[in-house]
Amino acid sequence: MDAENKIEGTNRVQLIISAKSSGPAKDVSKQAGIPREELQQRFTQALDSAAAEVFEMMVGTPLGPSDQAALPRVADYTAMIGLAGDLCGVLSFRCGNASAVQIAAKMLGINENVSEECARDALGEICNMVAGSFKARVSDLAAQCMLSVPTVVSGKDYQLYPLVNGLRIQVSKTFEGALIWMTLDVHSS
Amino acid sequence: MNPLRVLIVDDSSVMRKIVDRSLRQAGLELSEVFEASNGVEALARMQETRVDLILSDINMPTMDGLELVRQLQGVENAKGVPIVMITTEAGEAHVVQALSSGARGYIRKPFSPDQIKERLIPLLQG
Repeated sequence: MDAENKIEGTNRVQLIISAKSSGPAKDVSKQAGIPREELQQRFTQALDSAAAEVFEMMVGTPLGPSDQAALPRVADYTAMIGLAGDLCGVLSFRCGNASAVQIAAKMLGINENVSEECARDALGEICNMVAGSFKARVSDLAAQCMLSVPTVVSGKDYQLYPLVNGLRIQVSKTFEGALIWMTLDVHSS
Repeated sequence: MNPLRVLIVDDSSVMRKIVDRSLRQAGLELSEVFEASNGVEALARMQETRVDLILSDINMPTMDGLELVRQLQGVENAKGVPIVMITTEAGEAHVVQALSSGARGYIRKPFSPDQIKERLIPLLQG
């Protein structure tokens, strides 16, 4: 996963996350021999189930449904995990500040406010576990797939431009009434 | 079972605290818990400390968990100490790699205290 920072003006930072394989990107659907719609549905279900498992077991709060599919232009926190191998790409997890703090507090089993550093750490682990659980659910397509260590971006003034140009899966859920978003951009190596 | 001295190795401080809490929730009595955020820190700790159990993540910067397990084989204080991997990387290849490197067990994240108990008690009693 390459990360590139470009300064535009005096205080605006544009973060570009790109996921590249060593060779040309291959269509994951063609590579798997599965129709694109079917694969999209399977990956969406796997991501949905992975997130549900992680929140139930590690946060102790089940995720709720959401009918808002569109991603926010900016979320307070974005955690990212790179995938490399059979599947190449990026899984991102986005949420607002209040959700990040609540998730971290619940993971730690404490009631008081947690630090921003702690919230970043917690979201990185959530993203990491969702990616691992997702991978296990599509193991026939991701047997040789490695995960990167997590990266977490916080702030208000950034946008993400994944350059994978492959299959995009978006799942939005609610955590204690607030929206959270997960996006998976993948292609085959 | 006597109270345990445990080393928890994970680059996430939140996860180290969760593992600590889960061990206690699983009914294990801990006399001392040491923490390290990567394999290099864990190796340094093991040069000066003896523990009853090592729980380590795999995917960490600086030195990953698999390399840590390999290098611990040359550390006197680590001889006979069970090492259990706690990681999101739970594919068959990773499990085989970890066990052949010298790890005695494997716990997949996310985990419950019951799963911790189920995997650790036989190891600690054996």
